[in-house]
Amino acid sequence: MTRRAPSLQRRLLVTLALLLLVTAAVAAWSLETLYRDAGLRAREDVLDAQVIALIATADIDADGRLVPQNLVEPRLAAPGSGLYAEILGSRGSWRSPSALGSGLNLIAQPSAGERQFERARLADGTRVLGLSLGIRWELAEGETRDFVIRAAESLEPWYREMVRVRTGLITGSLLLGLLLLGGLAIALRFALQPLRRLETEIMDIEAGRSESLGAGWPRELAGVTGNLNALLVGERKRLERYRATLGNLAHSLKTPLAAMRGLIERGQSGQEALAPQLDRMQAIVQHQLKRAVFGSSATTLTDLPVQEPLEQLRAALAKVYADKSVRATLAIAPGTAYPIDAGDFLELAGNLMDNAWKYGKREIAVRATPWTAAEWRRPGLVLDVEDDGRGIPPAERARVLERGARADESVAGQGIGLSVAREIAAAYSGNLEIGESRFGGARVSLRLPGR
Amino acid sequence: MRLLVLEDEPALRETLAQQFRAAGFAIDAAADGVEGEFAGLEYPIDVAVVDLGLPGRSGLDAIRAWRKAGKSFPVLILTARDSWQEKVTGLDAGADDYVTKPFRFEELLARVQALVRRSGGWSQPLLKSGAVELDTRGQEVRVDGHAIELTAFEYRLLEYLMLRAGQVISKAELTEKIYEQDFERDSNTIEVFIGRLRRKLDPDGKLQPIETLRGRGYRIARNGS
Repeated sequence: MTRRAPSLQRRLLVTLALLLLVTAAVAAWSLETLYRDAGLRAREDVLDAQVIALIATADIDADGRLVPQNLVEPRLAAPGSGLYAEILGSRGSWRSPSALGSGLNLIAQPSAGERQFERARLADGTRVLGLSLGIRWELAEGETRDFVIRAAESLEPWYREMVRVRTGLITGSLLLGLLLLGGLAIALRFALQPLRRLETEIMDIEAGRSESLGAGWPRELAGVTGNLNALLVGERKRLERYRATLGNLAHSLKTPLAAMRGLIERGQSGQEALAPQLDRMQAIVQHQLKRAVFGSSATTLTDLPVQEPLEQLRAALAKVYADKSVRATLAIAPGTAYPIDAGDFLELAGNLMDNAWKYGKREIAVRATPWTAAEWRRPGLVLDVEDDGRGIPPAERARVLERGARADESVAGQGIGLSVAREIAAAYSGNLEIGESRFGGARVSLRLPGR
Repeated sequence: MRLLVLEDEPALRETLAQQFRAAGFAIDAAADGVEGEFAGLEYPIDVAVVDLGLPGRSGLDAIRAWRKAGKSFPVLILTARDSWQEKVTGLDAGADDYVTKPFRFEELLARVQALVRRSGGWSQPLLKSGAVELDTRGQEVRVDGHAIELTAFEYRLLEYLMLRAGQVISKAELTEKIYEQDFERDSNTIEVFIGRLRRKLDPDGKLQPIETLRGRGYRIARNGS
């Protein structure tokens, strides 16, 4: 068993799902990065502001420490508030009440005018962001003293928020992706629906529930369905022809067979008695064989320029009927061509022209012209063959074109060639018309429609 | 008349050879294209019957080779498929007529005779020279409207001369065309038969239908064609 190729829908969905996954991951990652950077910068700004506020209220106390005179930020006063501050100096340091027992342990020692951010952990494991700023304090006596002012803030709330944001981002992009995939699946189903319909209709044809594809196909499929229908029609016609040929053959052989059986039963099995029956059977086989020759499907044919085969036929017939001094004119519109099998065309034109040579006396005219109609993209073909023989009386015209003319009728002449030509023409959806020629004889017009 | 049968099916080849022989032809038979091509190029063939159903299209090739070499003897093709495609291909290759299998020998013979007649320049089956009339269809000879009884050999001789009326035919040519390859050739026999023909056609010696050109051959005057 051969492995089936993945369906179009599956191919598209798998590719798009992968693409969506990558896009969503990249989008979530960049959003998160942006958010984290912005958040961190905001935290740094807060610490900066705290440090400035501390400096603004600070003054040297009696011990020579730099101490804020009042705490503007209430969080500095409350222990475990998450905001901590300290001022380190050579004569001692100050620590905000919030930092008491917290185990705040920042290590940066910036020189005056420098600032350093750092991350640290408190005794309970809380992650903090710290800012250390070095300052040089001017005393009244023109003396200067260096201090380091530090502020630190817990990052835990921010980390918690980051987790929330990340979760939100992932859920959001997943949801978006799923939504898009679902939409795509629906769009694909809609877009591929004609293909599914084609499949069903072909299955119907295979199962014999239907004869051809329906109408109303999208532009992209119309070419395929049109050709498929033409192929189906061609195949069906061919099948009908085979059936008819087989049926005719079997039926027409029965009569001579019965006659021979009768002759043998009566003891008349000599050469004289059997020969006419054998001749008849030969004629039947020949007749049916002639019909079986044609039969190419008209769907895949390229245009056949008709000038050359018609000239070949004229040359051939001029040889065969050399005893007749016939003037045969060919009038072929330049570039006249028709999509027909070369053998079929020779058979068609050959039979018509052979009749003209057979019955004509001096004048034969063959005319080939394109047959155009607004609804055809490729033109049809009209082939007129005229002779100056005795013509075919109107009452006889239908009979000589008759389908399934039996071999015994065809012996009379006329019938076989025309009925074969008529059947080939029918295979190309064309027909034969018999009329009167301008020379007073018969005119046979072959009309093959365009497509 | 020397006829080449190019047919691969032995039974049909033999039957045709026999039937044509019975109709007064000298027969060369070939079973394949190579042999047939050689016979057509090398033997003094007057007419050929070629089966197109030979293996490898060699029937067509043989016809093309003959025409290319300038051989103009008429060629009749036998086709089994009876399609115009095959007929046109054969006629285009240089054949002059076709007969579709299966056929009645009478039809084939009539077509072959017509080809021979046309190649001699006669457009009618009734050949006339002065008071002598020869009907190729019924193989009848009349002088001044009276039927003349001829033997098969005498008829063949007269027919050959009549078909080429106006031309001088050497004794060698007559020997070649009327006898088959393997027959003993003796130009005296021709003289004897010409003598008999003259006595039958012109017992009084008034008409002199067959002219003798000393050292060159015989000639029948051409008129009434």
